[in-house]
Amino acid sequence: MINSVRNTVLSVLNKNNYGYLSPSDFNLFAKQAQLDLFEDAFYEYNYQINKENARQSGTGYANISKSLAEVIEMFSDSATPSNLFQNIYLLPDDWYFINDVYYDDKSVEKISASKIKRLLNSNLTAPTTQFPAYVLRGTVLDVYPSTITGTGAVEVNYIRYPKVPNWTYNSLIEGTPFFNPSLAGYQDFELPADYEPDLVNKILQYAGVSIRENTVTNFGIAQEQQENNDER
Amino acid sequence: MAYLTEYQYYENGGTAPTNKNWGSYQYVSLEDIVNNFMLMYSGNHSLINNEEQYKVLFHAKRAIQELNYDAFKEVKVLELKLDDEFRFVLPSNYVNWVRISVLRNGVLMPCGENIQANGASSYLQNSQGKILFDSEGNIESKTSELDTLRITQQLKTMYLNGNSPYNNQYGYNYDGRWYFDFEIGARFGLNTETANMNPTFRIDSKAGVINFDSTLDDEVVVVEYVSDGMEGGDNTLITVNKLFEDYVYAYIQYAILNSKLGVQEYIVNRARKSKTALLRNAKIRISNIHPGRLLMNLRGRDKWIK
Repeated sequence: MINSVRNTVLSVLNKNNYGYLSPSDFNLFAKQAQLDLFEDAFYEYNYQINKENARQSGTGYANISKSLAEVIEMFSDSATPSNLFQNIYLLPDDWYFINDVYYDDKSVEKISASKIKRLLNSNLTAPTTQFPAYVLRGTVLDVYPSTITGTGAVEVNYIRYPKVPNWTYNSLIEGTPFFNPSLAGYQDFELPADYEPDLVNKILQYAGVSIRENTVTNFGIAQEQQENNDER
Repeated sequence: MAYLTEYQYYENGGTAPTNKNWGSYQYVSLEDIVNNFMLMYSGNHSLINNEEQYKVLFHAKRAIQELNYDAFKEVKVLELKLDDEFRFVLPSNYVNWVRISVLRNGVLMPCGENIQANGASSYLQNSQGKILFDSEGNIESKTSELDTLRITQQLKTMYLNGNSPYNNQYGYNYDGRWYFDFEIGARFGLNTETANMNPTFRIDSKAGVINFDSTLDDEVVVVEYVSDGMEGGDNTLITVNKLFEDYVYAYIQYAILNSKLGVQEYIVNRARKSKTALLRNAKIRISNIHPGRLLMNLRGRDKWIK
């Protein structure tokens, strides 16, 4: 998909000889665009859930939240975090959102750091191996009860960040870089194919700013708004 | 929890203790309750959303505690000998007593709760009756006279047992009736509340003991009591009878909705009514009223009342 997106972007940019987008710039903008759309999927999912709760949503093909959930779940992953020290576990580098943490097939509940002391002192709700809890501190998890230790004890189910897109090319042939997806470092967009217009619009917005051409930016924004309106 | 095979149920899969799973089908575990609630009653399209699991756990345990106090018919029984001070230390999971008996000659004799005090705190006093303090201003306590008398078997009681002041006094029999020179029951008749020869007790909740009168001598006391079902804090052992399962879900739902901001009052009321109705239903169910039992009670109709 990445080559198709790039070709479309260049086609729009070159229409009136607005300018040219180098591969490195395209890769930078592609990363931003994908991250932006990836994050939008969560907000859009929440919007659709609210519509469902207001009974303004359908089932079957009209079940938009389901398709959005599928988009998000494309980034679902699981890992066994490494045990740094005692009950402290290091999260994977690419985690964006922790879905669930498991200990011995039991769900480990997330507790805010401000409440963990109270919880530990609670007679009825102190974390146990049957109802464990964790506190997120930066990129590590403190798992309770503190008897939970050792690598392999804890499993994390999470949504990861999309991989950084990278349009790779061989060399310039007659002034034009030649796309080569078999090169090391190649990475396509990870979003589904129906996100291609959105990616083009987003990249055009960045490109428009880059080449100081308001028309391009405005075109990208207008297209995006039009699509958003259509999807509501 | 998955269903057990017959072998697991009867023999615990061949591992000791083999009776571990007997009767377990009547109960649902705390873990199942919390898990089911999070799955079935909580989520994007449910009344309860984004609620922490520990809150569900807390309310589930509170529901089980409340049920243990009055709805469950699960009375625990502990048999112990009294210590040298005629005390029975309350069981570690004791919340309230149901019946206290003494095992005498192979028969359980129910003891009465003493309406009189049989123990007290006491402070050291000087000859003028002034309370004495130590150098740091703390009050100096001592064993009370009441306790001393009880422990040394000298405390008399208004009950007609071995410690009654009238015990061993002479009477005379005339025309088949017994007469006594003292005034017990002479003027106003016998006080039936205290006319019991069995030992008496009084519970000192703060001290964590049951103080018995000194008519007990090296005898075994059986205490029937209710606990709160928390099994000493071991979550894996906490269970609830399946007849109350729906009530526990309704209780959790009500407790959460009732304390949540912005929930309409009619929804809170609906949840409250639901839990109340389910508790009533479960109590009726567990009371086990069925024709066989009714028949047994109705047979009592034919007994002549003198």
